[in-house]
Amino acid sequence: MQRLPSPYGLLIDRERQIKFSFENKSYQGFAGDSIASALAANNQWLLSRSFKYHRPRGALTMAGQDANTMVQLPSNPNALADKEPLSPGLEVMGQNYSGSLKTDRGALLGLFSRFLPVGFYYKAFFKPRGMWEKWAPLIRKKAGLGVINQQLEPDYYDKQYKFYDVVVVGAGPSGMQAALTAAVDGCEVLLVDENPILGGSLNYSRLDAKGSMAREVRDLLVHDIEANSNITCMTNATVNAWFADNWLPIICQKRLYKVRARQTILCTGALEQQAVFHNNDLPGVMMSSAAQRLIHLYAIRPGKTAVVVTGNDDGYANALDLADAGVEVAAIVDLRDKPRSSPLVRAAKKRGITIKAGYAVYAAQKRGNHLAGVEIRKILSQGICDSQAEKIRCDTVCMAIGYTPTYQLACQAGGQLSYSDKSAMFTLNNLPDGLQIAGSVDSYWELSNCLEEGARAAIIATNALGFTQTDIPEPTAREKHSPNHSWPIFAHPNGKEFVDYDEDLTIADIVNATRDGYEHIQLVKRYSTCGMGPSQGRHSALAAARLVAAATNRTVAETGVTTARPPFAPEHLGHSAGRSFYPARRSNMHYRHIEAGAQMLQAGAWYRPAFYGQATDRDRCIDNEVNNVRNNVGLVDVSTLGGLEVRGPDAAEFLNRFYTFGFVKQPVGRARYALLTNEAGVIIDDGVACRFSEQHYYVTATTGGVDRVYQTMLKWNAQWRLDVDIANVTAAYCGVNIAGPRARQVLARVCTDIDLGAEAFPYMGVRQGTVAGIPARVIRVGFVGELGYEVHVPQQYGEALWDALMEAGGEENIQPFGIEAQRLLRLEKGHIIIGQDTDAMSHPMEVQMGWAVSHKKPFFVGGRTIAELEMKSPTRRLVGFVVNAKNAPIPLESHLVLDGAQMTGRVTSCNHSPTLGKPIGLAYVQPHCAEPGSQIKIKSSGGVMVTADIVTLPFYDSKTLRQEL
Amino acid sequence: MIELTPDKALRRSPLYRRHLQLNAQFEQLGEALVVGAYSDTGMEPRLAISLGLADLSCLPRTGFKGPGAPDWAATQGVEIPSAPNTALAQADGSMVAKLSHQELLIVSGMQGDSGLVDNLNQQIPGTGVYSLPRADSHSWLAVTGLLAAEMFSKICAIDLRTHKFAQGQVAQTSIAKINGIIVRQDLGTTPCFHIFSDIASTEFLWDCLLDAMEEHQGVAIGVAAIRSLDATE
Repeated sequence: MQRLPSPYGLLIDRERQIKFSFENKSYQGFAGDSIASALAANNQWLLSRSFKYHRPRGALTMAGQDANTMVQLPSNPNALADKEPLSPGLEVMGQNYSGSLKTDRGALLGLFSRFLPVGFYYKAFFKPRGMWEKWAPLIRKKAGLGVINQQLEPDYYDKQYKFYDVVVVGAGPSGMQAALTAAVDGCEVLLVDENPILGGSLNYSRLDAKGSMAREVRDLLVHDIEANSNITCMTNATVNAWFADNWLPIICQKRLYKVRARQTILCTGALEQQAVFHNNDLPGVMMSSAAQRLIHLYAIRPGKTAVVVTGNDDGYANALDLADAGVEVAAIVDLRDKPRSSPLVRAAKKRGITIKAGYAVYAAQKRGNHLAGVEIRKILSQGICDSQAEKIRCDTVCMAIGYTPTYQLACQAGGQLSYSDKSAMFTLNNLPDGLQIAGSVDSYWELSNCLEEGARAAIIATNALGFTQTDIPEPTAREKHSPNHSWPIFAHPNGKEFVDYDEDLTIADIVNATRDGYEHIQLVKRYSTCGMGPSQGRHSALAAARLVAAATNRTVAETGVTTARPPFAPEHLGHSAGRSFYPARRSNMHYRHIEAGAQMLQAGAWYRPAFYGQATDRDRCIDNEVNNVRNNVGLVDVSTLGGLEVRGPDAAEFLNRFYTFGFVKQPVGRARYALLTNEAGVIIDDGVACRFSEQHYYVTATTGGVDRVYQTMLKWNAQWRLDVDIANVTAAYCGVNIAGPRARQVLARVCTDIDLGAEAFPYMGVRQGTVAGIPARVIRVGFVGELGYEVHVPQQYGEALWDALMEAGGEENIQPFGIEAQRLLRLEKGHIIIGQDTDAMSHPMEVQMGWAVSHKKPFFVGGRTIAELEMKSPTRRLVGFVVNAKNAPIPLESHLVLDGAQMTGRVTSCNHSPTLGKPIGLAYVQPHCAEPGSQIKIKSSGGVMVTADIVTLPFYDSKTLRQEL
Repeated sequence: MIELTPDKALRRSPLYRRHLQLNAQFEQLGEALVVGAYSDTGMEPRLAISLGLADLSCLPRTGFKGPGAPDWAATQGVEIPSAPNTALAQADGSMVAKLSHQELLIVSGMQGDSGLVDNLNQQIPGTGVYSLPRADSHSWLAVTGLLAAEMFSKICAIDLRTHKFAQGQVAQTSIAKINGIIVRQDLGTTPCFHIFSDIASTEFLWDCLLDAMEEHQGVAIGVAAIRSLDATE
């Protein structure tokens, strides 16, 4: 392991060695290393194979901004080796290769690249017909990158909200200055950076010939930030999107922070771009900033001999850094004819570094899987080089030809990207209120300007927040010299000048896309896949825009770039999925059901007992529960039923308008069936309305429908303005239905202050009293068709009520019954379930519930539509049927009713009735088939046709004597 | 000594099984049992200063709404908060939260004295005043401690930091995806956030809170610790 001496190696802890493996070979690194830096320290530069041609790839940015460093980890694929921190024992493998990373058989594809032109997929699979089936298996095998370990236990991911006055994204010089200025003015500031430490480019770049300024400024800024309690720093954190109202999702380790910023300042910096030349993707060819990161952050020499290709003075700073680190700088190849005489240029000259002005790196040569040298040529005109070539042996090429602003977040916020031909650079404008940009993202490059702009952005933010009322300084004057070269693109007869590393796209691919008719940059993207890889066009957008502009005779500004959608960087599914909440509602009696062996089912968020007993013995358990209710006494938890208090002088009038029945004359102490329709006359819910006083109704609703009923009540009364109060008290009450011929005698043992006699407390009567000493509302209802009492008590008394009734019914051997038995009991009684036996078109007459519609009142919701429907011939009716044929399969819900080959209806409920001893059900049929005695054909499971006889409802106790006992 | 078993009480917190799992020691409060403490080490008051979670669901509370509710309550001696979404401590230690111009939530002090609540419940409300069964529609949990806001930030989108969410402030919001009312009413000098939410979802919320608290070493605490903090100046 070779390292430069301190103070090189800002991020590494030389006292803590870490062992790891790559491709099953052991290596050592230091704490603070990334995988890529540790491998580089061990002279292992080959990291991955490219997506399409399986070309060897190595570090490009050393900033986690490219796909060249994607490796396979045990826990996740496609990890960025230049971002992923080294950890003890980490087992790292390459990915997307056949054979070995070093010798990848897939690289043979590169030999056939001329047969795989842009749009290959579209062209190849378009014809002949059926070719896709042949290609698909092969492509699917080759496609993709890493492999998901499906055996792995998922890690614990979490989410958290944060709130700040100002969020500064990017802790480079502008960001640090912005944070400090805002914090000094009293704002709570969050300073976020994706790197392990504050400083941004000050950590690795060289600003002066001496090479000390960046570190000195950084240390001062960091010192002040650390001393300011108003600033919270979040490092190793990525602001992965900008959403409306400065809602920022920040990913840090295994947590997704959902941050609300009152003001946001983007100091996201700029992304260095590659020069486009033949073989510009070889390991050893890297951004100049990558080389500087290796040197300064990790104390690693990028190579032995380097060539710097540049179009700005940063390349000279880079060359000086290389030279200081002991790298032989063979030449600075400057695309400019006449480099300006800046201190950095003069320093390079003074160091004796060869400068080839007006030259380009035209091609790179390789030995094995690494760069071995370059061919440089004199530039004759834009992208055209002289035929005379000069070869230079080197193992490193550093590219410093310009930048694009890291515009993604700003564009997501609505910022527009323009292109300046003068500076050959994208610029941002039209930013929304509450969002500022500063620094190199705003095309300021000189340190003093970046600091001024950072402070200025903070003043705008603090003024907007009311912390200050300071005069906002004028924007800093634009700099004369742009770091961007206008055309660092050099086509080669043999191609392989990569514009997009992720997708292996070359100059010809981009140009040919326009020639195929896809001239718009968005179409070029989709046709060529340029910018669609993991790095999302970070290093291809500018070059692609230039090439498309030139090929279509437009300006780059007219050509534009593709949309930068979230997320900014790849994120684990765990960040989105982690720590989700799945609310669960339980009645106070819940555990009594569990203790009694109930199989629970979920209805919305509620848990309800389906039946009691082994799941394998389901049908027998349900039959027993039904028989017990029919012949003895059973107890069912009805706590999940909706409960609504409707109170006030206009309570009766309100219900009269809301439900189909009449309620004005409903006597106190009585319950009345309440059917709810919408404006279209469609049934949407039902329940019973219990009148406890002139101005007080307690209305039940279905478990799943109560919230909608409540909202609908509020909505209508917002219009009607009746003097009524509506309260949803569903959870406030626990309820049971004690049902069966012996229900009265059991209830009487624990309910002594209500006369339960048949005359004193008739069917559909309601009373208030106590049950087992608990204040209770008691309702005589007959959903299951037997003598029954619903007992509703305050929620926290529910379990005590259950216990008391089960104890009171011990002599009668009272048994609990579940939802399945209840559904079967009601089916025998011919009662419908809203939502199961009705659909989005069902109106009362169709389901034989015309009796529940009052024709005497002036208005109710849906009344007018129902009146019109009543005048028309019905198109279907819900009827009861029985299957008399023995051994016939039992039809299931949604099985079709057929008339010949024509579908004429469907089954809504069907089950074997233990009481009748045969299958019974409800189905929609054509009106002419609805008369009792008619027969219908039902297409049952497996296509078996079942004949069913239409019968009069109810199936059981046709004179309804039992519930009125 | 009579063994206090919560499954024999007439009124039972939806969490009593959770409390039993944590070896809770119960004490009688009206028809219910409440958790006095989960251990006899006496550490709970100190832990609660950092981060604690208490089940107060069996303590008295009630609610009233309607256009006449605030005026009617005032005639009963209740001091009404001036603005919606604020709460006011009453002289007897109970607390009144104004949830809207027409709606009040009234909860007992930490001793569980039901005087005010009982008194109001026994009155026949005036015109335009309707009682609400808050004692049974909503559970009552209390999160105490200096780390409470930090913990809440994992499950609630409201900024509850004490310099942003003042004493007596009320938020009607979503907590772990269920509706809830959060009232900040400190216990002495210890921040305390009272949560009133759907009683049927109490176990779900309790589990979510404990899970979120684990990172900060938060613990379940009994009413003894709550009262101890409440008594501090």
